[in-house]
Amino acid sequence: MRELAWRLFAGEYNDATLELNGGGERAPSYVVSPLGAKVNRIFVVGVITDVENVGTDMQPMWRARVADPTGTFHLYAGQFQPEAAAALSKLKPPVFGAVVGKSRTYKPDSGNVYTSIRPERVKVVNEAVRDFWILETCRSLKRRIDAMAEAQKMEPLSKEGLLQIGVKEAIADGIVQAVNHYGKADLARYTAMLAEGLRYLLPEYREFRPPETAAAEEAAQKPPAAEAEEEPDDAEEKVLEIIAGLDKDGKGAPWDGILEAAKSKDVTKDRLEEAINGLLDKGLIYEPVLGRMKKI
Amino acid sequence: MREELAPHVHDITRALGGKVSEQEIEKELSSYLNVYRVSLDTAKRSIVKKHGGNPAGLSVGISKTIRELLPGEQSVNLLARIVSANEKDVTVEAGTKHILYGILGDPTATVPFTAWEPLDVTLAKGDVIRIQNAYTKEYRGQVQVNFGVRTTVSKEKPEALPEYKPGAGLGAPYVGKPTAFKVVDLREGASNVAVTARILSIEAREVEVDGVKKAVFSGVLADDTGKSQLSAWKDFGLKEDEVVRIEGGYVKSWRGIPQLSFDDRATVTRLKPDALPPAEKVGESPRMWIEDLAERGGGVDVTVRGILIDLREGSGLVYRCPECRRVLRKGACRIHGEVKGEADLRVKAVLDDGSGALTAVFDRELTEALLDKTIDACIAEAKEAMSTDVVRDELADILVAQPIEARGNVTSDDYGLMMIVDQAKLLKIDVQAEAREMLEGLEGSS
Repeated sequence: MRELAWRLFAGEYNDATLELNGGGERAPSYVVSPLGAKVNRIFVVGVITDVENVGTDMQPMWRARVADPTGTFHLYAGQFQPEAAAALSKLKPPVFGAVVGKSRTYKPDSGNVYTSIRPERVKVVNEAVRDFWILETCRSLKRRIDAMAEAQKMEPLSKEGLLQIGVKEAIADGIVQAVNHYGKADLARYTAMLAEGLRYLLPEYREFRPPETAAAEEAAQKPPAAEAEEEPDDAEEKVLEIIAGLDKDGKGAPWDGILEAAKSKDVTKDRLEEAINGLLDKGLIYEPVLGRMKKI
Repeated sequence: MREELAPHVHDITRALGGKVSEQEIEKELSSYLNVYRVSLDTAKRSIVKKHGGNPAGLSVGISKTIRELLPGEQSVNLLARIVSANEKDVTVEAGTKHILYGILGDPTATVPFTAWEPLDVTLAKGDVIRIQNAYTKEYRGQVQVNFGVRTTVSKEKPEALPEYKPGAGLGAPYVGKPTAFKVVDLREGASNVAVTARILSIEAREVEVDGVKKAVFSGVLADDTGKSQLSAWKDFGLKEDEVVRIEGGYVKSWRGIPQLSFDDRATVTRLKPDALPPAEKVGESPRMWIEDLAERGGGVDVTVRGILIDLREGSGLVYRCPECRRVLRKGACRIHGEVKGEADLRVKAVLDDGSGALTAVFDRELTEALLDKTIDACIAEAKEAMSTDVVRDELADILVAQPIEARGNVTSDDYGLMMIVDQAKLLKIDVQAEAREMLEGLEGSS
């Protein structure tokens, strides 16, 4: 039977530290998220922000990063993933990309666990496909939050008990494994992640809007808006303009240039760093190489 | 405990290495048999699987008559007469194998059999034999009995079994009240079921069963949960659009899809036309999750929403054998060798809805619509590029990663689920409206 492709945000996937090996050579392995998603195959649509050959010319190993509203997925494709590797090597980031791949973990000696994806297929898509993925992933996340909330009320927790209250087999098994490994999941964190994903889709929550619509909406909604809050946004907008303006050769804007231009526009170094972090978090800019910033 | 169940309870307990108590097994077995009414074989295997054991560890076969046999039995005992037996050599992976094949009969029916391993006894027409731990498979809609390594065969006296008379027997009448099921809950192996449904279509056909011509009335019925094929082995005078209550039916599967069958043992009661919603309503294609289809084994005329996450081998422009319609590989048919192929267009895609995955097959007409191009235009393109890959690449470009709604019949086999797509459309979803609604729900509840 073909393994289904889970829809998970990077925020949830990267929280995972549990890997189950089926035992035996051909048995599938799974990465289990703190909410009980038991992932062998995963489907992701996000912004492919950079692709790099970390292998050699003879034996390339393509590393790519895919950003979603909650974090970044890491992809590795080598000679055993020829189609995905070929597709990645031809990409010109940033682009919206759809990825189907297998879940992987990397455990360095430090004891940390890092999740990654070994892609089977990579395809350039449009924004509508990405937005639909976010919606679907929100729905999927919500089902897991609801099921985990039920599980947390259950004493003692058992797969049979979960099946009895209508939780599906695929999730029920993962939940029991997750609770045994992670203990009590922080549902507030994932509910916030869910809201973040949904807001990302809605224009009324977008930071950058044409000033006139923003002003009109704010006037209608919350007249005494805190002015202090607006300022960093203003700085972000300025910084984004600076980065776009300085990126003459397509390789990104150099840090020194950004700093200088920011000073001339009354943005202090502290404020600048804050704004850059904000823009990175929102996925509006990225760092193609160290010391250079590029608009997505 | 019912006496005859005791050996099976021991069998299950032993297969589980004694980690579950006999009392518990007995309770579960009784629930499977009496509440869910699945077959003893299915019940035993399900219980072992549920507790993490391997059903192959079960060793006590279940004695059945040939009529009671279902496809996919793992361990069954039969007392039967050899109606015919022949030998032949077949080519298998490991080389040539000498097998014995023929027909078995008992007072209830006949069935083809194959012995894949050498037997301790020589068998001839007319011999009465006791078979233990045989298994069954389905081939072209018919059950077949197989003797494997675990199977033992011994001869009995001829009078141990009456002669088989074609058309003689039907199964014993059901004892007790039938159990009511909604159509969506019908599962293979259930018997003495009651279903209230509207007949959507019905037609009489003639089929040959064991060399005897029989009339079968087949069609589609539906309730508010879904549709099912039906086969009536007796003329109940069923008419299209009437609402009936069928009591005493049983469930067989056709390519994994549970379907309702019934015969003389069943009763059919006519209900008022408004006992169920009208045909347009119950005839609608129910939207289903793939995980639920996987659990049922398939479904008739269902709708699935998901994403086409991959195209499979053999999508695009293909050439078929004019004799058997098989797709040619390197210009040759697997059966008929080098032939002049006939062009066809199709898509075999992986449709994944986040709960499961199935293979969705789109025929030429649907593929032409998706491409917005005729097959002739595709042939021209392929000639120009000197490869049919261009058509596949174009399809991948249009379809992969696209949300889609597909409607059709879903069947299943060892390789998983397959939908023969009847209608398909690329999904246009108002993402913002749905996100806003979900967010409001979220903020309202916190």
